[in-house]
Amino acid sequence: MSKTTYKIPIGPIHPSLEEPMTFNFEIAGERIQSVDLLPGDNHRGIEFMGRNRNIVQIIYLAERICGICSASHPFAFCRAVENAAGIEVPPRAEYIRVVIAELERIHSHILWAGVAALELGFSSLLYLSWKVREEVLDLLELLTGNRINYGIFMIGGVRRDITEEHIPRIRKTLEYYKDAYQTLEDVFLKDPSIALRTKGVGILTYEQALKLASVGPTARASGVKKDVRQDQPYSAYADLDIKAITPDVFSGEVNGDVYDRIIVRVLEVFQSVQIIEQCINNLPEGDIVSEPKLAKLLGTLKKAKGEGVGRHEAPRGEVIHYVKLNESENPEVWKARAPTYNNLMPWMPMLENQEVADIPIVIASIDPCIGCMDRVTLVDSQTNKKEVLTREELIKLSVAKTRRILK
Amino acid sequence: MKLDKYFDRSLWVFHLNTGSCNGCDIEIVALLTPRYDVERFGIKLVGTPKHADVLLVTGPVNRKMLPRLKLIYEQTPDPKAVIVVGTCGTSGGVFYDSYNVVGPVDKHIPVDVYVPGCPIRPEAIINGVLKAWLKLERLRGFSGAEIEKKIAEVNA
Amino acid sequence: MKYFNPEELLSFLKENLPETILDSNILTRKAGVKQEEFHQIWLEVKKERFRDTVKMLMSLQFPHIAIIAGNDTGESVDLTYLFSIFYGEKFKEISLNIKVSLDREKPSIESITDLIPGAQTTEREIKEMFGVEFVGLPEMRNIFLPEDFPKNIFPFRKDQKGLDELVQKES
Repeated sequence: MSKTTYKIPIGPIHPSLEEPMTFNFEIAGERIQSVDLLPGDNHRGIEFMGRNRNIVQIIYLAERICGICSASHPFAFCRAVENAAGIEVPPRAEYIRVVIAELERIHSHILWAGVAALELGFSSLLYLSWKVREEVLDLLELLTGNRINYGIFMIGGVRRDITEEHIPRIRKTLEYYKDAYQTLEDVFLKDPSIALRTKGVGILTYEQALKLASVGPTARASGVKKDVRQDQPYSAYADLDIKAITPDVFSGEVNGDVYDRIIVRVLEVFQSVQIIEQCINNLPEGDIVSEPKLAKLLGTLKKAKGEGVGRHEAPRGEVIHYVKLNESENPEVWKARAPTYNNLMPWMPMLENQEVADIPIVIASIDPCIGCMDRVTLVDSQTNKKEVLTREELIKLSVAKTRRILK
Repeated sequence: MKLDKYFDRSLWVFHLNTGSCNGCDIEIVALLTPRYDVERFGIKLVGTPKHADVLLVTGPVNRKMLPRLKLIYEQTPDPKAVIVVGTCGTSGGVFYDSYNVVGPVDKHIPVDVYVPGCPIRPEAIINGVLKAWLKLERLRGFSGAEIEKKIAEVNA
Repeated sequence: MKYFNPEELLSFLKENLPETILDSNILTRKAGVKQEEFHQIWLEVKKERFRDTVKMLMSLQFPHIAIIAGNDTGESVDLTYLFSIFYGEKFKEISLNIKVSLDREKPSIESITDLIPGAQTTEREIKEMFGVEFVGLPEMRNIFLPEDFPKNIFPFRKDQKGLDELVQKES
C-alpha cells in the first residue's frame, strides 16, 4: 500500500464552510483509508472583537459571520439578550422574524442544491436552480432592502414592518415556489442519474450521528429527529405544528447517505413555503419593536445583569449564542457557535472507505460554509515526486465517474 | 449596451477569498447565472492564477492566508489588474481590530480598483470589472484618445 | 422513553448525585401568541463530580452538547457547558447549562470525549483560547489558531499582555 497524501482545499465556485479547510487524506489505490482535518484559515477573532462593541453593534457584527445564513446569527443573538435581560417581544415582530428566517431557508437550500449538482457534473442544474432562487432574493430585497445581510433584527423586535402592499407580492412568490417545487422534485429526487451517483455514498449511521453531536439536515438524514423548531419552539413556531423531516417520509427507508440529505433539504423547501403561508394568514396586529428609541434601549441594557442562551434552527442546523451581561456597555462573555462547527467531526466516518472521485460530493453534502483555496497536492512518499492537481481535475474525476456509472 | 465592439479579447478572472464571510463570494458566483450572465461579455472564472488577467480579492486578510495572497499575486502574469471587492478588503470594514486580521489588502499588494459595499450588488462588480478592463487596455498600448472615447461611451 | 419535566429532572439529579450541585435555578419563558412555556435549568457543580453528572444524564437520553463557553473572571476560569436533553417531542426539550469553576493558575478538568466523542472540537478550542488542560483529550493540536502562534499566549485570558502588542503592531 503506497502512502500518498493529498492536500485538498475546495475550489472557488464553492461558497460554503466558515473556514477554508485543509484535509490530509491517506489513500490506498482509489480508496481513502483515513482523513485528517485542519481548520483555522478563516478565523477572524469575532468574539474577541465583540468585547469592545456595545450590544447593538454586535448585531451588525454577527450578521457578517456568514453571508448565506445571515439572518440566523442575529436571530439567536437577539433571543439570547432578550432572555438575559428579560425583554418581551411583541407578537407581530415574532411572526415577521419567522417569515424572514423561512425565506432565508428557501434561498439557502436551493443554493446548496445547485452547488451539489455542480460537484456531480450536472452544471446546467446550477444555472437552473440559481435562476429559481432569484425570485426569493427579489422578495427579500423588497421587504428588507438588501439581498444578503438584511439588517432587520433589533433587540426587542424588528426594524421594518410588512405592510398591506407587501402581502400580495409575498403570495405571488409562494405560488411561484409551489409550481417550481414539482420541477425541483422531479429533477433532484426522481431522476435516476443523481440517485445512482449518491446512494450508498458517504454514510453516517444513527449511532455516529448521535454520538458526534451533529445537527441539522445531516443529523435528520441519519434518522435522528432533532429540530429546534420542534423540540423547544420559539417565536411563531410555538403556534405551528412542525415535525422534523426524515427521509422515510419520501422514500420509506433511512440510510444516512448523500441521497437522503438531498431528500431532507428538498422537502424542507416545501415545508418552509407552508410555514410562511400560515404566518401571513395569521399575522397579528401591534407594534414591531418593544422599545423604538435606541438611546433608551442602550440605557436599559447597560443596567441589565444575567446570562442568556438563544437557539435558532438555521438552514444548516442549530445556531446557539450565549451572552452574559454584567451592568456595563459591553457584554462580559459572548459565545457564538455556527452549526458547521458541530458537523465537522462527522466528516471523518463519512469519508472513510470512499473513492477519491466521491470526495467533492461527500464534502459538500453537509452543506459546509467555507471560503476556499484551490489546489490539491499529491506527494508520493515512495518516489518523493510532487504532483499538483487543480480543483478542476478533481471535479473531472467526479464527472468521469458519473459518466461511467450512467453507461 | 453592446460590449463586443469595445473589447477585442476576453477577460479571465481568478477569485481569491482571504477569509471573508462569503456574502460577496456568492454574488460573484451569481454573476454566472442566467440573470446577470456575465459570460456573454467574455468574462470567465478560471481555476488557476497562471491563466488570469484579473485578480478578484475578497475578505479582510487573515494571518494564515497572507503568504498565499502574496504567492498568488506573484504567480499571475503581467499585465494584470487587482480588484478588491467589498468593504473588508478596502478598509477592514467591521473587522478592524482583531488579532488575526492583518489589515486591508492594499497594505500588502498594489490594488487597481476598489468596489465598496457590504455586501455588494452584482451590478457593482460588473462596473468594477469594466473599469479594470479599461485600465488593462491602456496597459496593452491603446492610445489615450481611444481610451477616453471608450470611457465616455461606457459612462453614457 | 420517559420525559421528565424540569422539577423532576432536578430532583432526580439531586437524589442520585449527593454533594455535587452547588447552585441551581429553573428559568421559564413563554413563546408565541399562545404563550406556552419552555424551560432552562442553570446548574453549578463541583469540578470533580462533573463526569459523574454527565454519566447520570446519559442514563436518561443521550444528551446533546452544543458548546462550551469560557470566561476569565479575574479570580477563576469558569466553563459553562451548554447541554440539551429530551429531544423528539414538542416543548419537551430542556436546556441544561452547567457551570464549572476552575482554578486560575493551573486550570484543568477531565475530558468527556470518551463519553461524548462530539465534544472534541469544543474542548480543543477552549484549550487553545484559555489554556485549560483537558486530561485525556486525544487530539492536542491547535484547531483554529495558526501553528506558529506563540505557545504561551491565550487570546481570551484577560491578563496576557502579549496579545495587545500583537493587535497594535498590525493595525
